[in-house]
Amino acid sequence: MIFVSPWVLVGLLALPVLWWLIRVTPPAPTSEIFPAVRFLLGLNATEETPARTPWWLLLLRLVAASLVIVALARPILDAGDALAGKGPVLVVMDNGWASAGDWVHRKEAVGALLDRAERAGRKAALLATASDGSGAPMAISATMPIADLRARLAALQPQAWPPDRAEAADLMKSWKDAAGASVIYMPDGLTDGADFNQFAAAMRAVGPVTEICCDAASSPLLLPPTSEADRLVVHLAQVPRAEAMQAAVLAESGDGRALARADVTIPAGASAASAPIKLPPELRNRLTRLVLDGPPSAGSVVLLDERWRRRPVGLLAGEMTSADTPFTGSIYFLKRALEPYTELRTGGAATLLKREISVLILADRPLPEGAERDALTAWVKKGGLLIRFAGPRTAESAGNDTDTLLPVRLLAGDRQLGGAMSWSKPAGLAPFPPQSPFAGLPVPDEVKVTRQVLAEPSAELASRTWATLQDGTPLVTEMPLGAGRVVLFHVTANADWSNLPLSGLFVEMLRHLVQLSVGVANTQSTAVLAPAATLDGFGLLTDPPPAAIGLQADKFGSTPASPRHPPGLYGPESGRRVLNLGTSMAAPEPAPVISGATLETIRGSARERALGPPLLALAVLLLCVDMLVSLALRGLLKARVSATAAALMLLMIPAAHALDSSPNPATETRLGYIVSGDAQVDGVAKAGLEGLSEYVNRRTAATLYEPDPVRPGETDLSFYPLLYWPITADAPALTDAQASALNDYMSRGGIILIDTRDSGSGAGFNPGTEDALRRISHNLIVPPLAPLTIEHVLSHSFYLLSDFPGRFTGDTVWVQRDQDRTNDSVSPVIIGGNDWAAAWAIGPDGNNPYAVIPGGQRQRTLAYRFGVNLVMYALTGNYKGDQVHVPAILQRLGQ
Amino acid sequence: MAKPETSALAAEALGARLPPLLVAAERVASTVAQGVHGRRRVGQGDSFWQFRHFVSGDPFARIDWRQSAKSGRGAPEGWFIRETEWEAAQTVCMWRDASPSMRWRSRQAAVEKCDRANLLLLSLASLLLRGGERVMMIHNDARPVTSRGGLDRLVAELDRTDEDDKGLPPNVRLPRHSSVVLFSDFLSPLEEIQALVGRFSAVPVKGYLMQVLDPAETALPYTGRIRFRGMEHEGDALIPRVESVRDAYAERLKAQQDGLAAICSAAGFGFGIHRTDHPPEMALLTLYTALAAR
Repeated sequence: MIFVSPWVLVGLLALPVLWWLIRVTPPAPTSEIFPAVRFLLGLNATEETPARTPWWLLLLRLVAASLVIVALARPILDAGDALAGKGPVLVVMDNGWASAGDWVHRKEAVGALLDRAERAGRKAALLATASDGSGAPMAISATMPIADLRARLAALQPQAWPPDRAEAADLMKSWKDAAGASVIYMPDGLTDGADFNQFAAAMRAVGPVTEICCDAASSPLLLPPTSEADRLVVHLAQVPRAEAMQAAVLAESGDGRALARADVTIPAGASAASAPIKLPPELRNRLTRLVLDGPPSAGSVVLLDERWRRRPVGLLAGEMTSADTPFTGSIYFLKRALEPYTELRTGGAATLLKREISVLILADRPLPEGAERDALTAWVKKGGLLIRFAGPRTAESAGNDTDTLLPVRLLAGDRQLGGAMSWSKPAGLAPFPPQSPFAGLPVPDEVKVTRQVLAEPSAELASRTWATLQDGTPLVTEMPLGAGRVVLFHVTANADWSNLPLSGLFVEMLRHLVQLSVGVANTQSTAVLAPAATLDGFGLLTDPPPAAIGLQADKFGSTPASPRHPPGLYGPESGRRVLNLGTSMAAPEPAPVISGATLETIRGSARERALGPPLLALAVLLLCVDMLVSLALRGLLKARVSATAAALMLLMIPAAHALDSSPNPATETRLGYIVSGDAQVDGVAKAGLEGLSEYVNRRTAATLYEPDPVRPGETDLSFYPLLYWPITADAPALTDAQASALNDYMSRGGIILIDTRDSGSGAGFNPGTEDALRRISHNLIVPPLAPLTIEHVLSHSFYLLSDFPGRFTGDTVWVQRDQDRTNDSVSPVIIGGNDWAAAWAIGPDGNNPYAVIPGGQRQRTLAYRFGVNLVMYALTGNYKGDQVHVPAILQRLGQ
Repeated sequence: MAKPETSALAAEALGARLPPLLVAAERVASTVAQGVHGRRRVGQGDSFWQFRHFVSGDPFARIDWRQSAKSGRGAPEGWFIRETEWEAAQTVCMWRDASPSMRWRSRQAAVEKCDRANLLLLSLASLLLRGGERVMMIHNDARPVTSRGGLDRLVAELDRTDEDDKGLPPNVRLPRHSSVVLFSDFLSPLEEIQALVGRFSAVPVKGYLMQVLDPAETALPYTGRIRFRGMEHEGDALIPRVESVRDAYAERLKAQQDGLAAICSAAGFGFGIHRTDHPPEMALLTLYTALAAR
């Protein structure tokens, strides 16, 4: 422990004087005005108040006084050694992408070193080695007092690009204040692809170097993934470490949900690792970014653009004139199967290949030697996927070995199964072999193949087969060629040879094949794409910095990240391109320690602690106690105790909730949700109804209180105008008591909103709720239902709505058919699957914790509006419905 | 102090709860002004006293023609003169101490002693005026108030009370055989009060002394080390431990009150004590009975 101002301790010598003064001075008397003072004038007290202060009070005051003196001497615990040098301190701080991971600790470590420099009364200057995005050239700040420098340091942010070491070295060489200076260096541990020795030499030339290092390994760099057949392979690069390391990569969709997670193990001493992410094609197309789990930084985020999604498919028929003829044309079924989810192109081979294309399908088009075959071969070798269908022409030209773009050699002619002249019967499909991309697809029995071309048996035929007939003859074969692949269907693409194109299996097979292909982007264009949103140092998408300028579309693969081209999204909304940090960066290389530098650790040693402030606080506390004791001794405390207690009571009243809660449900209007038993679902329902109640309170004259959980059959339902009922897949059937309670509720005007929460997900998110709905509504008296249309009162009971979205949108909502006049045509039950509560839900921080799908604030607003309409419908019935009769009523009154 | 109108109203309200107070006139003097007190003899007044036969020389205007007609006899022996009872009013002189020591209240009391004395004075005046008496403040060039409307004038006179810090009424000429009511805390030395009462009884007047005290002055509810400061330059008293002198103080206060009572009874005056935390009706009733008894 050291004292910064030890001479203050001399004040301790004054303590005995203080002790004498306090001891002989009695407490000051209270002053009271008193008219009858004449009677008191001569009175001599029979008993004297102890005029001398009690010894313990004396001690208390002396301790407080000595604490103040010691605190003013500014003791510091665990003080470090003074920095070398006498002149100004140059703080060199690496603020590239690699330092974002523990940025706070880095700043604290530098701040601790600055404490020592400040004690020595030195000034300091700051050099951040990565220039900021403002476009101003990198510069060493003016030499300033350390208190001023701290503000600069606090405002310093890591950048999304690597440091510019050459520029920093030049700046240090030409620094003017270098006389007697010393350097504090906070490295990011990487050479950042520059001449680090020159940088280090420039730093040593300034003065003695104190380097903070060596206990924080630099975080791995996430490289752009590669797209393989059915997976995305993520790659990590990092400085080799002595021990193996675990990392996890999250694949996130546009709304921020993590759709998949890949665990990567980086072996000891390795500088790179990769791991696959397997996702169904639909989900894979939703991915917008990969994030390395851990502290956020620009290096741990990879953005994905159309290259990983867009897959144009070209169709080329052997005989183009009749290719489009319905039902018989060779590409008719292909078009019908692919149109819904891919971008289709037709035309000549040369035309198709002129533009970027992922998949090319040739329907019975032999490829004789020539320019077209060479072009196609080159295209496949670059990564194209060529899918060929056999047919009479292919069969004709097979066997003469001229067509090399086939996965297998074909026997001449074709094979016919079944028919008038044959004993054999049309063959069905065998289950798909496990290595096939079709593995797992169900094989329908009705698919029969009557004709096919046959592959010449060979050693590798089995490994190249993706689908076979029941008798083992190959139906689909494939062959990798260069970076691409050739796939052959041994049947025609129309129904001539088999009824495979008529079955759903055909669609599924084509979809799987297209997903195998490599996505393309428009890389050849020379258009300059403006930055739309760029990553900051912590990997968050923000507005582009002022220095960012547009980038030519064909240079995305070769441009390193820099202030002029920060990583992020470029180009218009329809054709976003991504510049990633890891695309064109050299592998991270560990930077050596500056030779001759004093080493400090970031968080290894104990930090310096100033004892002054806590001591002062303790002294103030003691003086407060002393004041209370003195007041008590003078008899003043009693009157104030009550006031103090009242003030304390006021402080202890807990903060009022936004929505009042009351044990009596009859006194306030509130919504209810039927408890499903699943804690998460119930939590969402509660949060959703709270959010809706708040919204209704804010927007309408209705006042709703905190929603209640209700259990039909136990809770008295008659107080609730509206019940929300989320259905879980495992919901049990209702007991008689529950069913009768709910039937009674509905028959007396209550409204139940039943939510199966499965819309829009293709039953993928909440399967089985339809069965559950059937199960639980078995003994409910549900009136005949009709879809909710915009004519229904519910669509204009408060807002005018044409859509009724919740978290999902587009699902049909069912209400009572209009003919039924019981209950004034107010539907007792509303059934839908849009998961409204999740859209309404508000988290404890006031945000919406559940993203709406497909998304957008508009959908959230509409969901709330539907909720308001629902509440109004429940509270006012068909009041708004009466307005449709207004013209008729007016007419009647007029006559 | 409250506004004049308010205090007058409050006093009226308090006085309205008692029947009109008639001060028993002890003496009949020919010089006193007319009032509602019948003198049991013929004179000027409003109340009927007797009929008597007309004698020559009586003014015709005083003949009661109705009674004369009823007698059935001829003139002039059948004529009757209507005679009224001679009525006279008593003057009550009042004073309340306006010294700084009266303008004080402790934490236990809701009102200052001076405010309470004002209230008692005005409510008593209201009672007396309703009874037809005359009320007069004791100070220089004071004039008696006779009607109830004059209550407002009393209030105004209360406000312009002569600024004397002695805590004793000024030496003014009082009507003889009037009554005197004094409100004060009577904390001044007994000799001064004895001289005052002697001066009053020499006029001669009868009187009543009402000592208005704050509860803190009777109980001395303080504790600890306290410096008491007077309000009329009596000086300071530093009491190291108030609890220990409480009994001695009570004895001294008792001695003062006993002395006051002795002075009053010797002069035929009445004496009462009122604490400001007690309801004012009690004191008013005491005054009412004391004045009515004489």
